[in-house]
Amino acid sequence: MRDLKHLIKMEDMLQQANNELVREAQAEGRKAIGYTCYYMPEVLLDLPGCFAVRLRAPNCQTPTMATYYMSGRTCHYGRSLMERALEGGFNFLDAQMATETCTVTCRFQEHLQRMDIIQNPNFFVEFSDVPFKKTENSVLHYKKQLQAHVLDKLHEKFGIDTSDEALLKAIEQHNEVCRLVTEIGNYRKLPVPTITGYEFAVIMLTTLTCPKDKILPMLRETAEEMKTRQPDLKPTWKIKVAVAGAENDDPDFIKLIESCGAIVVADRYCYGSLPGREEIIVNEGQTPLDAIARHYLNTSCCPRFMPQDLMRGRKQYLADVCREYNADGLIVESNKFCEYWSYERTIDALIMPRDFDIPTCSIEKEYINSASGQLRTRFQAFVESVELKKLHDHAAKKAES
Amino acid sequence: MKNVLKALKILFLACTGLYLVLFLVYWFDLDGKALFYGVEPFLKNHYDKMKRKDPLEVVYKTDTPNYEYNK
Amino acid sequence: MSEKTSVLNKAKKLASDFWNGKPHEERRLGDLYLDKTGLYKHREWRGFKDTMYYFNMIWLYNYGHMVTDIMKYGGGLKGLPLFLKGVWRYRWLGQTYLPVMHWYDRGLEGMRGEGLRASAWHYRAMTSETIRQFMRMLAADQKTGGSKELYDRTPAHDETVWGGIFYPWRDRMDDVPLQMIPYFVTCHVNNHVVLNYIDAAQSIGLPGDPCPMCQAECGIFLQDDVPEYYPFVITSNEACDGSVGTSVIQDWMMDRPLFAMPQPMQFDDPLVQEHCAREIEECWKFIEEQSGMPMNMDELKKHLEEQNELQRFEWEKWDVAANTDYYPINGVAQALYRIYQSQDGNREIWHETDKKVRKILEKCVEKKINSFPKTRHRVIAWSCAPLYYSHWCTWAYNCWGLNCIINMDSLMFDMTIRTDTYENMLMDMALYHEWAPMRRMAVGGMHHIFELWENMEKFHCDMVMMYDQLQCKGMQGVHGLFEDEFRARDIHAIWMPHALPDKRTVSRSEIRGIINDYMTTIMHEKPLDPTLLEFDDSEGW
Repeated sequence: MRDLKHLIKMEDMLQQANNELVREAQAEGRKAIGYTCYYMPEVLLDLPGCFAVRLRAPNCQTPTMATYYMSGRTCHYGRSLMERALEGGFNFLDAQMATETCTVTCRFQEHLQRMDIIQNPNFFVEFSDVPFKKTENSVLHYKKQLQAHVLDKLHEKFGIDTSDEALLKAIEQHNEVCRLVTEIGNYRKLPVPTITGYEFAVIMLTTLTCPKDKILPMLRETAEEMKTRQPDLKPTWKIKVAVAGAENDDPDFIKLIESCGAIVVADRYCYGSLPGREEIIVNEGQTPLDAIARHYLNTSCCPRFMPQDLMRGRKQYLADVCREYNADGLIVESNKFCEYWSYERTIDALIMPRDFDIPTCSIEKEYINSASGQLRTRFQAFVESVELKKLHDHAAKKAES
Repeated sequence: MKNVLKALKILFLACTGLYLVLFLVYWFDLDGKALFYGVEPFLKNHYDKMKRKDPLEVVYKTDTPNYEYNK
Repeated sequence: MSEKTSVLNKAKKLASDFWNGKPHEERRLGDLYLDKTGLYKHREWRGFKDTMYYFNMIWLYNYGHMVTDIMKYGGGLKGLPLFLKGVWRYRWLGQTYLPVMHWYDRGLEGMRGEGLRASAWHYRAMTSETIRQFMRMLAADQKTGGSKELYDRTPAHDETVWGGIFYPWRDRMDDVPLQMIPYFVTCHVNNHVVLNYIDAAQSIGLPGDPCPMCQAECGIFLQDDVPEYYPFVITSNEACDGSVGTSVIQDWMMDRPLFAMPQPMQFDDPLVQEHCAREIEECWKFIEEQSGMPMNMDELKKHLEEQNELQRFEWEKWDVAANTDYYPINGVAQALYRIYQSQDGNREIWHETDKKVRKILEKCVEKKINSFPKTRHRVIAWSCAPLYYSHWCTWAYNCWGLNCIINMDSLMFDMTIRTDTYENMLMDMALYHEWAPMRRMAVGGMHHIFELWENMEKFHCDMVMMYDQLQCKGMQGVHGLFEDEFRARDIHAIWMPHALPDKRTVSRSEIRGIINDYMTTIMHEKPLDPTLLEFDDSEGW
């Protein structure tokens, strides 16, 4: 396929957290607000005067200093963020809007709060409590938390306008990003997709880590470009897969899967777009904050939700995603030491093939995948097995007819 | 009366004997030894061989109710 | 003269040893063990009075009560066949019930006088409450032919959902936690059993790195080893990621109405309380809906007030432990009793026990009786303990004079609950629910975990036994800061690595080795009883 015009620039943006667009926005006097989790609504951090940066630690190989603080038995992602912070890679941050939504990222953010790591005298960390359910009680609680710990703090510390008008403006910009990302992502549903999983992962990650207004022109152009983009005459892939699981902000992981003969057509993992790039709807008579709180709770499919209908319903959601994106198989990944996804991956690997007839490959990975040789073998074997299944299914159908 | 006294004496002796036997069991940890070398291996063998329900055959419904009360 | 005196002295010494027991340094407790098994060649001679007390009032008394309690809680004689059926059906019951006296032996080793008595009453209460709980499970268990009527009146809940949530129905229903007996108690009494459950969890593809407690709690269900005694379930997050994950598998296996009542994480935030209070109210509505029984607010109030009595006595105990040398309860009895009682909620047995312990406590304070005269260091134990070696403190005192005064779990529920108005009561209940076991000091901000320093001061401790649960992400995630703080404050802290229920990761013997190394190389101290330095109890319960 023809190269996407902005892909290289976007790849560049992902090489470090404090990228060119972040620096540009800060030079304009805007505040950079870090966060790690979908439960911290990025739209609130994208109010005029500030912008959201979802933290990553690209190219972090061995988090040595962080391992002293957090031991070698915690998730590599959390430790890599800590390492990057200790190296000074997050000194550009003006604040960190934290959540206690998974243990190790919580501990990382608590270190930022307790130790003098971020070399920015005005830097502060603020925690919000996030509910485990999606009930009215949860929405009410979440809304109060976001008001007190995010909006009020942004206003108090940086003088950010947090009025309904300002929120509506932020929602408008956020929705445009979501519309464009979804539009681009929908090309993955085509019988022969005109965008690879890797390309889409790069675009998606850029929208999470760069100021939205700076990335929008590139997104608009890319969306236009996609309208006429033609697939390769001979596809390089043999099967289509959906990827679900824990935190993954490494496009090279997607590239690794795709180099084994599978194209990634759906990204249902933390930092992915499913869910994550749905538009926020503000109904008549509804406050923008209410709409935001409901949106983020209702769209999330995080394994942290505990009500029975949600625990079980997210398997159905995953199956629906696979169907919608015509995936032949599912790869469920979890980062080593991620407890939520260790369990979720285990049950997905049992239920998805049994109840939904979706071939599933279950793998455990590191934040940066140094063990790519082993993973490659697993993916190749999975692709072969799904291909065989497809052949058998095809033959069976033919025999039937 | 004599019979009663005799019975009481027998009862006393039996109780004392039992008490002494129990003390010996206690002192030499015979209860622990019997359990460790006899009862537990037997039970363990039984539990290991027990036929159990295959957990992976349990149905997984995805349409369970939403329990919410403060709407 | 000298020979005569020597014989006389020997006779005097023998008589004294017979009557009083040997002095601490001459006991050689390690010589009593049979290699590997943890069994005794013979039990310890504690002096005439204490040996007779142990034999009569602990060994015989508890064996006796282990039968009579089964009948008491099992509805008379019919309780016996019910119990036997349960033993035959459930591994956790059969393999742990019978060796329970060895659990006493391990925890009470070397103890004398009032300390022995007070600690043993704690053990007795836990045994009785355990029997009550599993007899209720069995009586309602549909797998072994239990009563359907009882089944309908026995709600189940996660072990970290405080029993107090069910107080409004205690006059008609009896709540039983799902994992307290099959998992938690089991690990302490017979540490082999839980390994089956951990392996079961991994056999379906779960990786080995999540918390082994969560794995075991999942494995019990996968092994079909949980009685079917409950029509519905209240679950919680146990305030950790692994437990949330476990709930997914448990829910699959239980397959019945389940209400999630997770503990909010940021519990210092006043805004959280209202949310949590409403969750409790929702939970009550769920119970009413499922059971068809309305709440009884008088019953709730009555139990809360009785629970407050238990808390007030606990504060008195802490006061004696903190400010005198006359606290008669050893580290393991203190820790296990407190966590059991505070989580279980108001039960008659805790009141009965507290009454007995109060008498002993008052006697010790009045007569200045020091139950731990060989104390060299007052130790505070922090974070969560190895369940398979909760009695390490008994060994540490006997071997090194390390007296574990208090531990983190004991200090979790540091509150009474107001009952003057419904609102106050609900708010306090919410906070109590949030301070779940293992959690109050572990989540909601790092400053809670560092409450260690003020508790060290409060309890006049000069040493920390820092539990290092290798698979607890929360504690591992704060490891370095503790190291820094220990150095900065010049505190003697021994890191005790362990994997909660899984002895295969770090054995008891390795734990002892770590303590021995610290005491010899850092503290330059000599053991009180050198026979306890090294011994093999790898196959022991």
